[in-house]
Amino acid sequence: MGLTNTDIQNAQGAEQTDGNIITTTIDKVINWGRKNSLWPMPFGTACCAIEMMATLASKFDLSRFGSEAIRFSPRQSDLLIVSGRISIKMMPVLKRIYDQMPDPKWVISMGACASCGGVFDTYTLIQGVDQFIPVDVYIPGCPPRPEDLIDAVLQVQQKITSGASPKGVEHLLET
Amino acid sequence: MNEEKEIEEQPKPLVLQKLEEHHADALLSKDETRGTVVVVIRKEQAYAVLEYLKTDPELAYTFLVDVTAVDNSQMESELMQFDYARFMVVYQLYSYQGQCRLRVKVPVHENDLNTPSVTGLWQGANWLERETYDMFGINFEGHPDLRRILMPDDFEGHPLQKDYPLRGRGERESFNFDKQNA
Repeated sequence: MGLTNTDIQNAQGAEQTDGNIITTTIDKVINWGRKNSLWPMPFGTACCAIEMMATLASKFDLSRFGSEAIRFSPRQSDLLIVSGRISIKMMPVLKRIYDQMPDPKWVISMGACASCGGVFDTYTLIQGVDQFIPVDVYIPGCPPRPEDLIDAVLQVQQKITSGASPKGVEHLLET
Repeated sequence: MNEEKEIEEQPKPLVLQKLEEHHADALLSKDETRGTVVVVIRKEQAYAVLEYLKTDPELAYTFLVDVTAVDNSQMESELMQFDYARFMVVYQLYSYQGQCRLRVKVPVHENDLNTPSVTGLWQGANWLERETYDMFGINFEGHPDLRRILMPDDFEGHPLQKDYPLRGRGERESFNFDKQNA
């Protein structure tokens, strides 16, 4: 993506002075970088993961929004996409993966199952991962279309641009 | 239509002939459902009969397809048939030689959930019996490693028993991460 000074100026409210000098705040520049290079950690456990793969593949091409660098190590990623059913045996694994991700980190709960258990109102299924980990963006649908996931990523980007804290650190700031 | 006629004309299946000859006292019931012979055998002789079915050169049910169980506690008609045995352990067998299937059922009473393990006959029974133990609480005697296989190790109860509540006993809302990670 080619970037001109005008782009930065428009997007971040930076001021341009003579020549090639721009002034802005460090937070804005960092957030601008974060926003356009979200590295997702996929946690695909069901059919939503198929839609997530489609989102990443050429037809929908999530790399247009800077999020194509899928990391299978939570230690290298800052966006957790929970896509699929989470059983009570899987939840500690998901929690551990979330804990391993470096701050700041964002969580997308993709689809009905991850958000509320979906149709699986049974003894073994977590009725919404937000009971155990903080979720920033929920996607409805069963499964959601790739456009919905793209929209969720854009919402996370908006959240970053606005300077809002991820859900995961809000409780830390309150105390 | 022709196929059905052929089945009707067939003589009594070999497996039933041989079981009646060698293990008549173990046979509680025999039936045929959609081309599959179904036999119910006494728990005490279950291992011997299954061993016979596997090792007999004419029958050679060498492939154990599945081991599972059924909780008949809400099926009055089924319960009455086999002396109020709550559970029915089901073995699905296949004979490559005879190219035929066989379903062996073993009634298990609620007050004595022990039943012999067939891991000595079929190695593949290991995980199948672990699953049956996990879901129904059937205790397979002689199993080398009878642990839960699907549910978490600290899970209490056996969820496929009919009296287990569908939405669980609150375990899905409250569990201890520290304990799980320890």
